[in-house]
Amino acid sequence: MDRRCHPAKEKDMLKIDLPKERLADWKEAMLQKMAEVLNKYRSVRLFLDICVKCGACADKCQFFLGTADPKNMPVARADLFRKVYKRYFTLGGKVWGRANEAEELDEAVLRDWYTYFYQCSECRRCSVFCPYGIDTAEITMAAREIMAAAGVATKYVTEVVAKVYDAGNNLGIWPPAWKDNCAFLEEDLKDTEGLDIKFPVDAVGAEILLVPPSADNFVNTNTMIGYAKMFHAAGISWTTSTYCNEGGNFGLFLNYANLKKANNRILEAARQLKVKKIYWGE
Amino acid sequence: MKFLFIYLPYLSFGIFLLGTLYRFWRWAKTPVPLRIVVPPAPQSRLGVVWRLIGDIFWFPNLFHADKLLWAGGFSFHIFLWLVILRHFRYFLYPVPGWVAAIQTLGLYAGYLIPLPLAFLLARRLVIDRALYISILGDYFALVLLLAIAVSGILLKVFFRTYIVDVKALLLGLIHFQPFLADAHWLFALHFLLVMVLLIYFPFGKLMHSGGLVLSPTRNQRANFAQRFVNPWDFPVSYNALNLSRPEKYAQTLAAASEGKKE
Repeated sequence: MDRRCHPAKEKDMLKIDLPKERLADWKEAMLQKMAEVLNKYRSVRLFLDICVKCGACADKCQFFLGTADPKNMPVARADLFRKVYKRYFTLGGKVWGRANEAEELDEAVLRDWYTYFYQCSECRRCSVFCPYGIDTAEITMAAREIMAAAGVATKYVTEVVAKVYDAGNNLGIWPPAWKDNCAFLEEDLKDTEGLDIKFPVDAVGAEILLVPPSADNFVNTNTMIGYAKMFHAAGISWTTSTYCNEGGNFGLFLNYANLKKANNRILEAARQLKVKKIYWGE
Repeated sequence: MKFLFIYLPYLSFGIFLLGTLYRFWRWAKTPVPLRIVVPPAPQSRLGVVWRLIGDIFWFPNLFHADKLLWAGGFSFHIFLWLVILRHFRYFLYPVPGWVAAIQTLGLYAGYLIPLPLAFLLARRLVIDRALYISILGDYFALVLLLAIAVSGILLKVFFRTYIVDVKALLLGLIHFQPFLADAHWLFALHFLLVMVLLIYFPFGKLMHSGGLVLSPTRNQRANFAQRFVNPWDFPVSYNALNLSRPEKYAQTLAAASEGKKE
């Protein structure tokens, strides 16, 4: 069964500083990025070297349990990366080749990478049970970073990340819509419960900046109401920001640069609103 | 003979030492950009030390993962510790008290060690998932260790070699005054296999022994109250296509009426 995600759209890739489509020399680009990642992340290098293939992680991954696809075993997922690493970056890999799990990076391998590294939710359950704490999530992050550098990514992740730099949140709730939603919740609370609770937006000088998951303003509105009630009861001045109202950082699912950039928005919003504390998360 | 008892020991030990140091250095010089610690993560440095000691000696999280595998792995590693400690009597003169005391325990550990090794090898052939992920390096390490263990047991129980000559040989190597001694062929085999293990050690997964201590998910504290700085961090850059940028927000705020009462 084909479990591959829809590929990224050109316009989104361009908005997040990635090649708009798979590069012609994707193999070289990927290997170059791999060398860079191996020198920048001790975790990636160590986890690839240290795995003793005990298989303790195998039945701990809910995606393996759900799909019964052997490549969804955390160890096998990491092996997709490890075999390319061995082939190009280790002496043993160059000497022993396929006899000891070293594979050329070709179309089939890239296909597997795209299929399986986007079936990991980076939940880290596997690393709780690994004797060395090998974190498949870090391998997945590295693999996605490498694929992204060559122009390979999914529509789901890239579209959402690009949206954050346009609307300030994952769902594409533009500032007027955010303000309108908040105004509606104020009215609604007044009508249904008779409470006079404000939902401040872009209030400069408030004590706290609230950066909720944007879904709380869109669909989980009871949670949004909950925030307002809590701040009201505590007597704390708070605000949301139309520049940054996203607690769920999808940059984490793509690459470091976007992870940082999405996080940085929160800081930027806080600085501009001159708040004392940031309440943020998902 | 000369090669086996004089050149190869120094060569193999040299490769082992330099190789292991190189691998460590390579890992150690690679930075740790993100403080990703796996729960239950300790808050203090002492907690981290305790966690690592647990990971080295009794692997608690493997116990929760797979009890049978834990039993095999744990018994193998404990027996190995005891066997190695017992072998110190061949490398030290005079023999310290603790080495003399550990002889019986070490011997029984040595007799038993093929059991967990055989189990670990068998599971890699019989269990589907283990078979799927096992590679040449896994089988090689297990077979080598089994051969070392079995040759050692045979040496001890059946083919008694003249131990004084063996110890003289080893002490000669250690003190850089090597000489050739007459030893049983089985001892030569046992010795050769150990040297092969030493040569193989820095290249394969056996480096997990030391690498564990550098594992960022196990050796970091969960002290998130303190800011963790990524050594190779770089500033964000804005893309011309990004619609909402900080400057525009500043303009929005300036024009906004909300919050002005503060």
